[in-house]
Amino acid sequence: MIRLSAIILMFYILSLAEGCTIEFDPEIRTDEELLVVEGMITDQNSVNRIKLSLSTRIGKPVGTNKVTGAVVTITDENGIVTTLRESPAGTYVTDSTVFRGRTGGRYALNVKVNGKSYETGFVEMLPVPPINSLYYEKVVITAARDSNDIDEGARIYVDSYDPSGKCLFFRWDYVETWEYQIPYNVVNKICWVTERSDEILVKNTSLYSQAKVSKFPVLFVSNKSDRLKETYSILVRQYSVSEEEYNFWEKIRNVSQNVGNLYDVTPMSIQGNIRCCDDPEETVLGYFSVSAVTEKRLFIHDTFLGLPVFVTYCATDTLQGVLPDTGLNSDYWVIEDFSDEIPPFWVITTFKECADCSTRGTKVRPPFWEEF
Amino acid sequence: MRFRSAVVAILVLIAASAAAQENYIIDWDYSGEQFESFVQKAEAAHNIKFFYEKGWINDIVLGDYPGKKVLGEILDSLFAEKDIYWYEFRKGSIILTKSYVIKLAGEAPGGGGKYIPGPDRLPGTGSVVSQGNLVTVIGNPAGRDIPGDVMLSGYITNEDTREPVAGATIYIAGLSSGTISNQYGFYRLIIPKGSHQVRFSFVGMKEKTVELNIFDQGELNIEMKNVLVPLKEAVITAEKDVTVQRFEVGVEKVNVTSFRLMPTSMGESDIVKSILLVPGVNTIGEGSAGFNVRGGSADQNLILLYGAPLYNSNHFFGFFSAVNPDIIRDVTLYKGGIPGRFGGRLSSVLEIVPREGNRREFAGNAGISPVTAHFSVEGPIKKDTLFYLLTGRTTYSDWILRAVENTQLNNSSASFNDLNARIAWDPGRKNKIDLSAYYSHDAFRLNSDTSYKYMNSIVSARWRHYFTSMFFSSLTVNNSYYKYNISSVRVPEEAFSLIHSINSTGLKAEFNLFKGRSEFNFGSELTRYNVVPGNYRPADDSSLVLPNSIQNQRAIEGSVWLEDKYTLTDYLSLNAGLRFSTFFALGPQTVFIYNPESSRSLSSVMDTVSFKRSGIYRKYSGPEIRLSANFRLGDYSSLKLNYNHTRQYLHQLSNTTSIAPTDIWKLSDYYLKPQTGEQFAAGYYRIINRNKVEFSAEIYYKIMENLTDFKGGTNLVMNECVERDLVNVRGKAYGIELLLKKPEGRIRWSAGYTYSRVLLKSTGSFRDEIINSGKWFSASFDRPHDLVLTLNCIWSRRVSLSANYDFSSGRPVTYPVTSYKIGDIIINHYSDRNSYRIPYYSRLDLSVKISGTLKSKKIAQPHWIFSIYNVFGRDNVYSAYFRNVNNTVRGYYLSIFSKPIPSLSFNFDF
Repeated sequence: MIRLSAIILMFYILSLAEGCTIEFDPEIRTDEELLVVEGMITDQNSVNRIKLSLSTRIGKPVGTNKVTGAVVTITDENGIVTTLRESPAGTYVTDSTVFRGRTGGRYALNVKVNGKSYETGFVEMLPVPPINSLYYEKVVITAARDSNDIDEGARIYVDSYDPSGKCLFFRWDYVETWEYQIPYNVVNKICWVTERSDEILVKNTSLYSQAKVSKFPVLFVSNKSDRLKETYSILVRQYSVSEEEYNFWEKIRNVSQNVGNLYDVTPMSIQGNIRCCDDPEETVLGYFSVSAVTEKRLFIHDTFLGLPVFVTYCATDTLQGVLPDTGLNSDYWVIEDFSDEIPPFWVITTFKECADCSTRGTKVRPPFWEEF
Repeated sequence: MRFRSAVVAILVLIAASAAAQENYIIDWDYSGEQFESFVQKAEAAHNIKFFYEKGWINDIVLGDYPGKKVLGEILDSLFAEKDIYWYEFRKGSIILTKSYVIKLAGEAPGGGGKYIPGPDRLPGTGSVVSQGNLVTVIGNPAGRDIPGDVMLSGYITNEDTREPVAGATIYIAGLSSGTISNQYGFYRLIIPKGSHQVRFSFVGMKEKTVELNIFDQGELNIEMKNVLVPLKEAVITAEKDVTVQRFEVGVEKVNVTSFRLMPTSMGESDIVKSILLVPGVNTIGEGSAGFNVRGGSADQNLILLYGAPLYNSNHFFGFFSAVNPDIIRDVTLYKGGIPGRFGGRLSSVLEIVPREGNRREFAGNAGISPVTAHFSVEGPIKKDTLFYLLTGRTTYSDWILRAVENTQLNNSSASFNDLNARIAWDPGRKNKIDLSAYYSHDAFRLNSDTSYKYMNSIVSARWRHYFTSMFFSSLTVNNSYYKYNISSVRVPEEAFSLIHSINSTGLKAEFNLFKGRSEFNFGSELTRYNVVPGNYRPADDSSLVLPNSIQNQRAIEGSVWLEDKYTLTDYLSLNAGLRFSTFFALGPQTVFIYNPESSRSLSSVMDTVSFKRSGIYRKYSGPEIRLSANFRLGDYSSLKLNYNHTRQYLHQLSNTTSIAPTDIWKLSDYYLKPQTGEQFAAGYYRIINRNKVEFSAEIYYKIMENLTDFKGGTNLVMNECVERDLVNVRGKAYGIELLLKKPEGRIRWSAGYTYSRVLLKSTGSFRDEIINSGKWFSASFDRPHDLVLTLNCIWSRRVSLSANYDFSSGRPVTYPVTSYKIGDIIINHYSDRNSYRIPYYSRLDLSVKISGTLKSKKIAQPHWIFSIYNVFGRDNVYSAYFRNVNNTVRGYYLSIFSKPIPSLSFNFDF
């Protein structure tokens, strides 16, 4: 937190000097593809997934090279071995009717692929307290100082407390789901979009007198996105991690926070807990986590100042007269239809997501969804 | 002040007729009186003054000379048969001589006693005395026939301020021999007896030539005058002097007048920025704290202010130097050839020599620039004896933050200020005492809830004692304190305050002894350190922060040194020094003992050992050898060789590219070994183009051991077991530095080019302690090519222009080579450290200085400085960073100062 503030301050000082940013091609000279093993064993009554893939070079979409045909097993402290089934390709799952993690249990992962064997040490499943509360506060973002054009957003916080004091290192992730309505007369108008967190959220409470997390900022949702327009929901999952795993995430976060100033931590690879048994020099990426999980869901149905960006960009063109048969539904879509007017009048868009909400989300209403 | 013990007898040949002797009537009974008390009475009764060597008159008692009431008659009677003679020079100066008589040119010798028959001058190199020329005679002419060379020495002072002039050139053209004055303004030359013409010169001062007739060892003290408008009279030719004569390889002196002429970035002349123009010195980038000398990291520079180490050399995240230029007389940077009297840092010593203040009259100056205002006042409390210098500087940069359209920034504030005070007491020739204090404070508040405070202070007392003019000492006691306090109340439950501080108290005794061809410097230094690595506290009652404090570090560092600068012949001089330093880490301290078979971590802890208070729990010591040789290859060139060994017990822990605001100082302890360095250097110096242009070429090779690096992603703030994250690194650096310089005249310029490399290599054996598979890799400040051009053009007496241009290779950076996902989090995997580079750096700065008036006696002398930073507006890449965009990692270059930045500052002297 200290470093972050320093970075922000430094950044502003730099911005005074009207600095600028341009994209460049780093022209990476090597073409390394390393094995990535990642996954988690939880105490939930659901499938546990271990994913195997190869890392991707800079400038290419990440996480697309699946590794198939591996033998993945989990061993517990009693020596009971569970073999995972590959489904779909590159993902190895436990059978929820056979395997379920226990708090206090210890688990090790073993992967055999391409004639090599990879393993982790035993990782203990630590208990995790329930999330005390999950709530939001409205935040004003002032884009320009003297402008009346005020936008708002919601900052979502989590409070947690472990009276037993056993859970000192917390980790969270979240799943956002929001109702999405296209503000035009289209067939697929209402959908639900789901996105998962891509940020590292960890907290060390060992420096506090109690294992208490107060007002930990989970994320900020801006009204510039379309999330808050109708109803927004977030599911936050809380994990209890070991000190080792906490250090892993904290170091990754330290390095990934780098914003290009001189107070950036020297970038270095952070070693996870998976190693190659046959070749100790081989770098294996990823982390095998074992944790109990608790979760809480929050709905936000509120009015926020400002307009989502998408409202203004959809309409590409207008058309009067007869709607041409060709071309539409491939590059152009009708988003408004004033066919009862004479002559008939159409609003056309080149963005499919403006014409069909199902390009971004699903029309199926999530089972947990609440109506307001 | 009475001038009782004249070592120097002065003989003056004046063509003009001598003043007629006055009849000074002695109307008291002088019979049986000691000569000395007689003199006192006589001086009190008449407007006369006696000059003599005390040893001559010790046992002389006046007799009874009946009827003699006139001074001249009494003296004649008294000195008869005593081989002492007297002469009244001008009106009222009674000069006594021993063994010879003073006579006027053209005057027939009269009276008794022998006089030295003409010619009075020994053959020498001086010009023929013409009428009207003053000739200074040193030594007793009676000793003219004793064979051998003699030593000429003395002090050079500024006539206006009485401050010593260091670095002045003393040159005898006829002998092609010369020297430079040292930090006390002292100089010494061994020359043949006879007549010589000695020239004294120094940048910004009026040259002085003295006709000298030397018979014996003697002293010649010189007062030099400031050139009021240096633009007109600055036509001093630097004779094959400073560089050719100087002993050390890699020593740069920056004079305050020259760096004041330099272009500035925010209207402030800045000492560190001028140091960056020196070949072999560079920086990681704009806004980085500190500087790198010959491949050394920023914490390897010993910055001395008032003889005390300055732990934080910058304000405002490196945009300004922490020392106000108003107090600086000159700055010496030792890149190599570090004298034995300095130690404790690996790479360099930057000695800031403060001005002493004007001894004779009140003076001052004040100025404003877009972000700062400064003032200085100085003057005597008691003329020539007790005088002061007080300077201050403050910022008012908040208006910039308010002007920016950003709420967070509008609620922020930034300020710094610094204060220097000095009082010096100069009661006489034997003792000089000064007391100095420095205080600097930086405060930043970010968005009203996070604040940063930095405090730096130095107090120092120095006593210089002159046993004889050839043997003097300096005793310094100082305390230097640096502290930061970072606090945040953004989240009430997590409101904290974090304090780090280092406090050192030092005692240094230094002696200089000139004996024969040797110049000895020896002494001893003792420093006591107390470091608070981190003290983390709740900021208020509602905070849940658990107070946590990392155990303090205490240590004592002691060293002794002896150095001899020996002039073997005119063509060869040697400098040999040995410094021996010892470091004691003191308890109480609790130390974890780790399994040596594995990397240090929580899981490899085997034992815990507690050391009691005041017990020494770790001791390091070692010799530091300093050697150099200077070969004069002729009148215009010389070759110098140098070997330097240094040790460093104090480290600034940093795992960021530049020194970060939260970086802490740490003493060597159970695990952190002292850094050691060895440097081999050679330099060739030549004066070309009729003494107008200096050329120098220096090469060096350097080895460094026990440098610190860290395991990936380590957080060093409140890190209780730094040894677990430490990676031991070895370093090597080498380079060649070429410099062409025309330091004087209406147009002054310099062109410096450096090719240098600095490479590091991890020495650990465990996987997480190995960087780049144990291969050599570039340090973050490895910038092989560096070209610096400067130009100063004195357009007229009122207007001067200056420009400097800097080109250097881009600094090395580490790029991610591949990326992967855990869940939906994209993580980059980095490969070899610093194996890529950002594009090269190029920048031109210009400035114009306009003086408002030429009248020297006007109450205030205003001058304006207008400067433009980065005239080309080049988008110099500052750094490269990587961001995830749509599931893909992309690289970005960040540039700052991508436009020309003009600034205007106004100063006036009063």
